[in-house]
Amino acid sequence: MSSELERRLGGMLAEAPEPERGAGEEALRRALRALHPSASPHRGLRTAVLVFAAAVVLLAIAAGSLAAAGALHVSFGAKAKHRPPATTELTLPDRANGIAAIVDGRLSVVVKGGFRLQGQEATAVALSPHALYIAAGIGRSLVAMAPDGRRAWSHPAGGKVVAASWAPDGLEISYVVRHGRRLELHLIYGNGRKDTTIDRSVRAVRPSWRADSLAFAYVAAGGKAIVYDVGHTSRRVVASRAAGDVRHVAFAPGGKLLALATSTAVGIVRPGLNELADRGRIGGIGWTGRWLAVVHEGSHPVVLLTASPQLGKLRPGGTIDVLGAEGHGIALAVSTSDATRVLAAASGDKLRTVMRLPPHTSVRDLQLG
Amino acid sequence: MREPSDRDLVRRARRGDREAAAALFRRYWRDAWRAAYAITGRRSLADDVAADGFERAFAALGRFDERRPFGPWLHRIVANRALDVLRAERRLSDEELPERPDVSPVHALGDRSLLSAVAGLSLERRVVVVLRYGVGMTPKQIAGALDLPVGTVNSRLARGLEQLRESVEVEHVE
Repeated sequence: MSSELERRLGGMLAEAPEPERGAGEEALRRALRALHPSASPHRGLRTAVLVFAAAVVLLAIAAGSLAAAGALHVSFGAKAKHRPPATTELTLPDRANGIAAIVDGRLSVVVKGGFRLQGQEATAVALSPHALYIAAGIGRSLVAMAPDGRRAWSHPAGGKVVAASWAPDGLEISYVVRHGRRLELHLIYGNGRKDTTIDRSVRAVRPSWRADSLAFAYVAAGGKAIVYDVGHTSRRVVASRAAGDVRHVAFAPGGKLLALATSTAVGIVRPGLNELADRGRIGGIGWTGRWLAVVHEGSHPVVLLTASPQLGKLRPGGTIDVLGAEGHGIALAVSTSDATRVLAAASGDKLRTVMRLPPHTSVRDLQLG
Repeated sequence: MREPSDRDLVRRARRGDREAAAALFRRYWRDAWRAAYAITGRRSLADDVAADGFERAFAALGRFDERRPFGPWLHRIVANRALDVLRAERRLSDEELPERPDVSPVHALGDRSLLSAVAGLSLERRVVVVLRYGVGMTPKQIAGALDLPVGTVNSRLARGLEQLRESVEVEHVE
């Protein structure tokens, strides 16, 4: 009897009712969003060797030609542990996965493991979560590079990519591309497929993804901040006192707080609170953990805010030109009369110089991964 | 054309191929949902639990050993998620919990079905029975998942089977 019962129990799930179709569709959408592209650990050795060899050959050709012109420096392998921190090369801060910037129109990237790319002309750069991939606007394409030989791709964007932002789950990239005098916002899968135009008229502002990767904020051509819902392909204009003059958008690294900045004020948008929290000529904003960091043009300190009271100030010893703060770390480009320095700190660490450049060097798209 | 194997789909999915991932989902969604339903006994919970299970499985696909079968791995994730949810509801404890799920009113086959009989078990017995016979986990795996001694799992299985046997025999008499 027992074995007969056990046999029947083995098929008991066939007696369960059917799931409803709607539940399956929603579950599929959620599951696909959780999918992280990764290399198979059991991929054939031959494939791995071929991929690696191809990557080395391509990099060698590119590096050779650029190095001959004195424009590019590429190196692999971990550096010595006690290298001097202040150099003309970007140094990876302790506990960071990667750091990237556009320096005088050229790419400067270093990621954990020792991969470094410096000197490639580029118009924008975005690090993927954990700095596993680098997306860059090169020529009229959006190019994804994989430091450890994983798959990379190039997508013809039809114009220069002026800003790009990788979703926190790594599955999608939103980017702004210039078509003549017009700027378009696009969304593309993290594997380089399925490029979609989201808005045909936007500003050259880096989109900012919400922590759940289900939405991102951007600035429309009229200066209004818009939140685009990726799941429902819908958009919502952010009702704000800053409407019409938004220059920066920044979602907090956790939750759904959105910070907006105009040229003269900063505001944090959330239900029941739409205050302009800080005033002055705003140079940039970004989140570092729970704090909103604000840089005033021509000013020395970075002001750290929570929802309302000013929390404190960072004084990096110069005029802050650029702020890069998207997660729990912070990176700054700071000018003094004798140098432009890039300073960075991973979560909870002290700011330290990771790159020293001649004075008045342009630094853009600074990011710490 | 021959259907791609689970292993092929997993390989493609872990490289970011959404079509392969969707095919994998469609292949296993119904079974995963039914397992969640059999454990939780509620449609609404089964929806959440199965969806969470797939979400977690896909997020962890990079760590999945593709030489192993995908189905049991997914079911273990779903079963563990179901237990997490039930624990969160404070419905799973060392004491017997008499709560009956909503199987009977919803299920077209009525209370004569084996599933209804399983649904009549206390939660702690029902969980081990579903994990053992519906999902195919070994007593040792169940013990690990529930953080129970293997002996306790075996005893709950034995008591659950005994109760089910009585229930089935009663059906025969009727």
